[in-house]
Amino acid sequence: MMPSDSPLVAFGIGIAFGVALERAGLAHAPTLAGQFYFTDFTVFKVMFSALVTAMLGAFWLSRLGVIELAAVHVPQTWLLPQVVGGLVFGLGFVVSGLCPGTGCAAAASGRLDGLSTVLGMFVGVLATGWAYPMLEPFLVRTAYGPLTLPQALGVPYGVVVCGVVVVALGAFRLVEWQERRT
Amino acid sequence: MTRPAPYANPYVAGTGLGLVLLAAYALAGRGLGASGAFARTASGAVQALAPGQTAGHAWFGRYLDDGGIGQDWLVLEVLGLLCGAFLSAMLARRWRLGIERGPHVGSGARLAAACLGGIAMGVGAVFARGCTSGLALTGGALLSVGSWAFMLCAFAGAYACAPLVRGLWR
Amino acid sequence: MSAPRALGYAALALGLAAPFAGSPYGSARGRIDVDELAGVVARGEDHVEAIDLAQRIRARQPGLRVIDLRTNEELDGYAIPGAERHAIDALSRLHPAPGDTLVLVSQAGAHAAQAWVLLRALGWRQVYFLRGGMDEWRDEVMRPELAADADEHARRAFEVVADLSRYFGGAPGIGPARGDGGSGAPPGGERKGAVRPRRYGC
Repeated sequence: MMPSDSPLVAFGIGIAFGVALERAGLAHAPTLAGQFYFTDFTVFKVMFSALVTAMLGAFWLSRLGVIELAAVHVPQTWLLPQVVGGLVFGLGFVVSGLCPGTGCAAAASGRLDGLSTVLGMFVGVLATGWAYPMLEPFLVRTAYGPLTLPQALGVPYGVVVCGVVVVALGAFRLVEWQERRT
Repeated sequence: MTRPAPYANPYVAGTGLGLVLLAAYALAGRGLGASGAFARTASGAVQALAPGQTAGHAWFGRYLDDGGIGQDWLVLEVLGLLCGAFLSAMLARRWRLGIERGPHVGSGARLAAACLGGIAMGVGAVFARGCTSGLALTGGALLSVGSWAFMLCAFAGAYACAPLVRGLWR
Repeated sequence: MSAPRALGYAALALGLAAPFAGSPYGSARGRIDVDELAGVVARGEDHVEAIDLAQRIRARQPGLRVIDLRTNEELDGYAIPGAERHAIDALSRLHPAPGDTLVLVSQAGAHAAQAWVLLRALGWRQVYFLRGGMDEWRDEVMRPELAADADEHARRAFEVVADLSRYFGGAPGIGPARGDGGSGAPPGGERKGAVRPRRYGC
């Protein structure tokens, strides 16, 4: 299967993405915020179910020759900027209760707080992009390219896959137990 | 008025989301994203309003030669996202013009907080070159080191700030 | 059994089996359409010249990635600014993003040309190679020479090249007289700012 740049594919994938997010209840800010007060674990369950599904799917389909893992673009690593960016992003996440994707989904569901989040994002992206030349010396540090955990740890890919699955399923068990208590 | 349909089981919905992500890998050789579309649109806006600023700018200039905003994969994907979420909400009778907020916060404060949170996420997304969709989800499933670092730090940052903004949600 | 539970068991089974499955990358199998590739080569759409590459790097062309395929022995302390080192036998691990333009560079161009064929076989379209390799870069960008008897037209063309050369820390200079006004055109193809015609490879 050769990947293509078709606009139709992009749009179609997007539709499926929007449907999945909305049906999962992630277009609803109080649900997402609940994750960070230990009252609603939907974010964790959806996100890690998705991650495990795609990870296992990519691994096995590539192993069977249906797709080519090497042909899939791996997001590159800039370790320090992504650590700092992650912390700042998390701060914004709990304040608005939505992320870029779910914010769009919320806006499309009629929620004005979703719209407000989206507008704020534009401002943040615009301002930071404009300041990029000044930030560039920091933002290009600790660049490791498309580094994967198996490469970094010197461990076979399948072993990392197994580890992630076991940890995720264990975490799901923990969450279910916690939810039964409350 | 008919009642809105309940949401899907999170594990099942998550698996569905994972299959969408897998389809993106297989059909387009890349994963999902959202913040990239914001970046492309912001560049497009600056280019339209102040073209002198974009040529040679280390960040905005990046998007000058790419065939236009209508060809950008992420922009098209996000347009699809908006349509898909809209359709899903309508069909499930969950579409509603309104503001979701915690029990003790006013509408104005909620909208302001949403905007401020959005700004912070915009900053974080440019720093990290992605967001929860593009990094945590897409990069996470591909075992990218930086994506996992971003994901853990985003959760950490959110949990750390949660007590400070309790009034918004509790 | 509920759906989540079934999914959980399926994930567990697939996950536990993964360490025993070997590498997911397998061997990357490419597909070569000889007519298509031969056409690209014939039209000269497969390679770039050093000056052209230098101009694109200076202009910060979006998505441009220079891939340096030289071995440890071939490395001599100098590399094209921004170039990424990559072993030729790990080519299938390159992971270009959809908007990337790759320019492959080797010592004299042979390895880069071979890598070009391999990456085209894997389906990547925006791939080129520096025809003369680092040798061409060194001659054309780092040490461009103006013939001592060059005419006004050639001198002006050389100024553009010299400026580019200095940007990269090179040393433009004056070379021996050539008796042709210093601006002989190379056989086939235009070369902006080129002064002395040189042929590399092919």
